[in-house]
Amino acid sequence: MSTAIEMRALTKRYGGTTVLDRVTCSIEAGAKVALTGANGAGKSTLLAVLGTLAAASDGSFAIAGHEAERDAAGLRRSIGVLAHSPMVYEELTPLENLRFFARLYGVEDGEARASMLLERVGLWRRRHEPTRVLSRGMHQRLAIARALVHDPRVLLLDEPETGLDAEGLALLDAELLRAPSVTVLAATHQLARTAEWAEARVTLHRGRIEAVEGTGVMAEVATREAVRR
Amino acid sequence: MSAVAAVLEKDLRLLWRHRSGWLSAATFAAISLLVYAFAFDLVGDEVRPLLPGVLWVTFLFAGTIACSRAFTDEVEQGTFDALLLAPVPRTALYAGKVLANCLALLAVEVAVMLLATILFNQTLISPVLLLDVTVGTVGYVSLTTLLSTLGARVRAREVLLPVLSLPLLVPLLIAGVRATDAALELPAGSAPWTLLLVVFTLWSLIASALLFPLAVER
Amino acid sequence: MTRLVLQTTKWIYGWRWLVLPPVVGALMLAMLVGAVVVAPREVVEGEVQRLMYIHVPSAISGYFAFAVVFAASVGLLWTRDMRFDAVARGAATVGVLFTFMMLTTGAIWGKPIWGTYWAWDARITSTLILFLLYTAYLLARSLADELDEQAARYSAVYAIVAFLDIPIINMSVRWWRTLHPQPIVVEGALPMGMQIVLGLSMLAIVLLTVWLIVLRAETEGIGARATALRAALDRREGE
Repeated sequence: MSTAIEMRALTKRYGGTTVLDRVTCSIEAGAKVALTGANGAGKSTLLAVLGTLAAASDGSFAIAGHEAERDAAGLRRSIGVLAHSPMVYEELTPLENLRFFARLYGVEDGEARASMLLERVGLWRRRHEPTRVLSRGMHQRLAIARALVHDPRVLLLDEPETGLDAEGLALLDAELLRAPSVTVLAATHQLARTAEWAEARVTLHRGRIEAVEGTGVMAEVATREAVRR
Repeated sequence: MSAVAAVLEKDLRLLWRHRSGWLSAATFAAISLLVYAFAFDLVGDEVRPLLPGVLWVTFLFAGTIACSRAFTDEVEQGTFDALLLAPVPRTALYAGKVLANCLALLAVEVAVMLLATILFNQTLISPVLLLDVTVGTVGYVSLTTLLSTLGARVRAREVLLPVLSLPLLVPLLIAGVRATDAALELPAGSAPWTLLLVVFTLWSLIASALLFPLAVER
Repeated sequence: MTRLVLQTTKWIYGWRWLVLPPVVGALMLAMLVGAVVVAPREVVEGEVQRLMYIHVPSAISGYFAFAVVFAASVGLLWTRDMRFDAVARGAATVGVLFTFMMLTTGAIWGKPIWGTYWAWDARITSTLILFLLYTAYLLARSLADELDEQAARYSAVYAIVAFLDIPIINMSVRWWRTLHPQPIVVEGALPMGMQIVLGLSMLAIVLLTVWLIVLRAETEGIGARATALRAALDRREGE
């Protein structure tokens, strides 16, 4: 099996604090991995670094074979990111938003793809309204569509359940968390739900991997002693 | 290239959606003309020597305030991250934004010049003058757009960005006013003002385009 | 080769506490004695002209400090090492000091000579703009704390643009001034006595600048480390 995400001693320091401490981990293509840990353990930071939205202080990583240092563009083309903010233009309509992102990613026949995605996330009827009038849940659905517009092989999701109702959660599962042949690394607090979609679980504690369970993931785990110190 | 076109289209569309903001900028510029008229008693023919200065100060003040919103809005909304996530060269993001802002500000400036023509009874719309103003606009828009990557958490942002950009734009102001003097056949000295204007704009554009990726890199 | 240069620089830097204070002190003393006592009195302007020995070197220091800010900014963007940010901030603070000194000595000197504190002389006006650029840089940098890498990068970009702009600014201000009759400035070769003291003053003040930059940069660096430690402590306590 090929490796979708490869992290080698990824470290992120902010000032004097080490937020990520030599995280080494390999995630197989197609694996569905839940990233768990207490607040401040480093989940969001890890996702930000992998998503190239934050620079690592040390170490390296590759996604879908693209090395972050050498082929950042190729790497970005392979990933779909859901962060805390939906990252959509409030003044544009959902359709305009998706059309723009499709163009930006060079998606062939972007218009059709945008329409198709809007339908799949249930925003088709609101596609001509400015995004700012839509609810939080609809923003999140639009964000999901944005993350998928270029058909990425790898999904990096930071607490994707936020703001979603039951229908939205079903959508999330169908489109992202259980999408076939897509690698998923999702940070989540909703541990009960992970049983439904996750095949593996990586737990962070103070920036180091504390535990790894399930299939599709190999990682260097810090022992309890080392972590406590 | 198509990335630039995509960004440009997006920015023009956003400009249109934000047109009330731009109308405010235009109104601010118009009010500035009135303010100068009252403050400096700009009545009659002796107005002419003062007009280039009045115009350029109006352009710079309204322009630097308007441009300071260029990327800060995107950073605030979180869409800047979405732009950085895309596999497009950073310079394309910059170019699209600069082009869009230039077009918007040129529209405002032409409106101001028309108004000034009427208020002060002077012919201000001439090809040479329009060229000078266009070059100058590209000059200050390119710099202020670079500086607008300042970020969202800043409180006094509206004032701070003009404070940062105006000292850098002194050559543009000096050259712009004197080039306008020459265009209006006012005494302007023998220095090659239009050349300075063009050189400054080229420098500003190239330096800002090269530094932009460094400023936004994470 | 680079290793050798780095080693030598580190070795020289190691001697700074031992060498710079006495040397700078001696030179400053010599400069003061020279400026006040030894240098000949200027015929036209009188005693106030002695301010030249501070005024001219301060101008040089102001630009020199900005060159350091520029170099440190390039270093920061290249290496992402935040120590360059400390150097940049230190040099900027020192630069503000010396440009301010240049401006005030210029005003004090100008009043009896030109009858006005400010005559829009091209060089002093350019230095005023430099002062404003420094202030803008420090303002932009101070919006976030010493540890914020994004803020440091932004300020570094600003410093680089500003440094590259300075020659253009100076040139445009000079051209602007040619539109109006310049106030009469004493030109022509200075007598030997003045030249010697001026040379001495340049050396003294430039070395003083270097020493102050070193001190400020180290202070800024220590301040940053203190902030980092405090943050780490808070993080520990919160657990």
